[in-house]
Amino acid sequence: MLTLRAVHASYGPIKAVRGIDLEVHKGEIVCLIGGNGAGKTTTLMAVSGIVKPDAGSLFFKGECLNGVPAHEVVRRGICQVPEGRRIFPALTVQENLEMGAFLRTKDFSRNRERVFTLFPVLKDRKNQLGGTLSGGEQQMLAVGRALMANPSLLLLDEPSLGLAPIMASKIFRTIREINEEGVTILLVEQNAKAALKLSHRGYVIENGTIALQGRGADLLENEEVKRAYLGE
Amino acid sequence: MLFQQLINGLTLGGVYAIVALGYTMVYGILELINFAHGEIYMLGAYLGIIFLGIFTAIGLTEANLPLALFLTVLLAVFFCAAYGFTMEKVAYKPLRNAPRLSPLISAIGVSLFLQNYVMLTQGATDKVFPSRFGESRITIMNGEITFLQILIIAVSALIMLSLHLFRKTRWGKAMRAATQDKTMAALVGINVDGVISLTFCIGAALAAVAGVMVAAYYGLVNHFIGYVAGIKAFTAAVLGGIGSIPGAMLGGILLGLAESTGAAYLSSEYKDAYAFVILLIILLIKPSGILGRRSEEKV
Repeated sequence: MLTLRAVHASYGPIKAVRGIDLEVHKGEIVCLIGGNGAGKTTTLMAVSGIVKPDAGSLFFKGECLNGVPAHEVVRRGICQVPEGRRIFPALTVQENLEMGAFLRTKDFSRNRERVFTLFPVLKDRKNQLGGTLSGGEQQMLAVGRALMANPSLLLLDEPSLGLAPIMASKIFRTIREINEEGVTILLVEQNAKAALKLSHRGYVIENGTIALQGRGADLLENEEVKRAYLGE
Repeated sequence: MLFQQLINGLTLGGVYAIVALGYTMVYGILELINFAHGEIYMLGAYLGIIFLGIFTAIGLTEANLPLALFLTVLLAVFFCAAYGFTMEKVAYKPLRNAPRLSPLISAIGVSLFLQNYVMLTQGATDKVFPSRFGESRITIMNGEITFLQILIIAVSALIMLSLHLFRKTRWGKAMRAATQDKTMAALVGINVDGVISLTFCIGAALAAVAGVMVAAYYGLVNHFIGYVAGIKAFTAAVLGGIGSIPGAMLGGILLGLAESTGAAYLSSEYKDAYAFVILLIILLIKPSGILGRRSEEKV
């Protein structure tokens, strides 16, 4: 469904991604793990069209994504929940969801019902400003907002970052539910253990290249991964 | 006397507020002080004179004054929006990722260019508004109010109300979202370049209306009026809190009132100085303005 071939991309002056090959098949949860500055976020930003790749090519459903502007990438069915949630603080929860549905106004109430079923708390907070929500609620809103566009591929960047463990595991459960509804997921996580448990397949990124790849369960057992990312 | 000054102040303040809205909307989305915004207002005034001149020549003004005025404003709005759109594409978009000083200098360049362009094409002398209208007066509480003043206040109020309603529409919300976080706005599928162009067009359209109204009000324009009006509207935007839409409205009206009461009770010689005294005081006491929020540095 999503293919990256020898993608190079820079984050400002830094060459963060140096030749990444990556494949996400329909229906999968795939995770990217790796340390700070390994190039995970830049990879997602390149897929979303925010960062223009310096070299290499990106394909989604067989069509080239190179040079496609960010809003057009959303129209083709890729939505991103970026690191730090980035909800619109001065818009209400309802308006944030409306912005998520900016290109898909047609099935608005049906998509909103789906989000409210996943995250009932958002329904109670509907008229509250996004900036007044707690961190966990903001993460739910960020995921909900992305689902409003009914994406076929959802990119999640550090969805558990800064959340209490109980909230983090709720978010991971929800990611599985969303996947079971048929949404393909590409997940970037620092919490390697939880991410690998959840994922069908995983990639380990180091210094902007793929160091390891394999099934989630296999990577969990890999000695190198255990030592470097699982702290065992 | 006081009531008279209040009405004069509201008339001026309404115009300042409409021009200030253009400053504040552009600042909100690009963090750019568009110093060429005053020149769009000046262009609006000239376009008003040109089009009403044409309508007067063909006899439309005499036959149907409201229609002639409406068409004049409409055409001025259209052309100014085109100027605003072009200005952003030519002078600011190529500098989107440049250091913040570069677009500011570019803005000053656009401003000087437009002033001289109008001076060369229209001449350096004052131009006279081709039609006098709305001069019938009514007397309320010892104050004389012309019909034109009432019209200006009403149009200003209508514009502010429509802008308020616009911000609740789909594109209005997209504009607010892009103001808060441009990257995130792109990630939900908003065409941010489109929103920026729209912002410039709306700002320029508002300035055009203000320009035509002022040309009708004072009856004379020259190619310098954009400079002074621009700086005053900028002061109004800073006074209310730059980036804040209600702030620009409030700031504009307060500035208009301060100017007219100052001119009446202190000295009319220093009429133009009051705006700058107020700007100094605001920058010293509350740099973020009356309704502005202190900007937080993002980490």
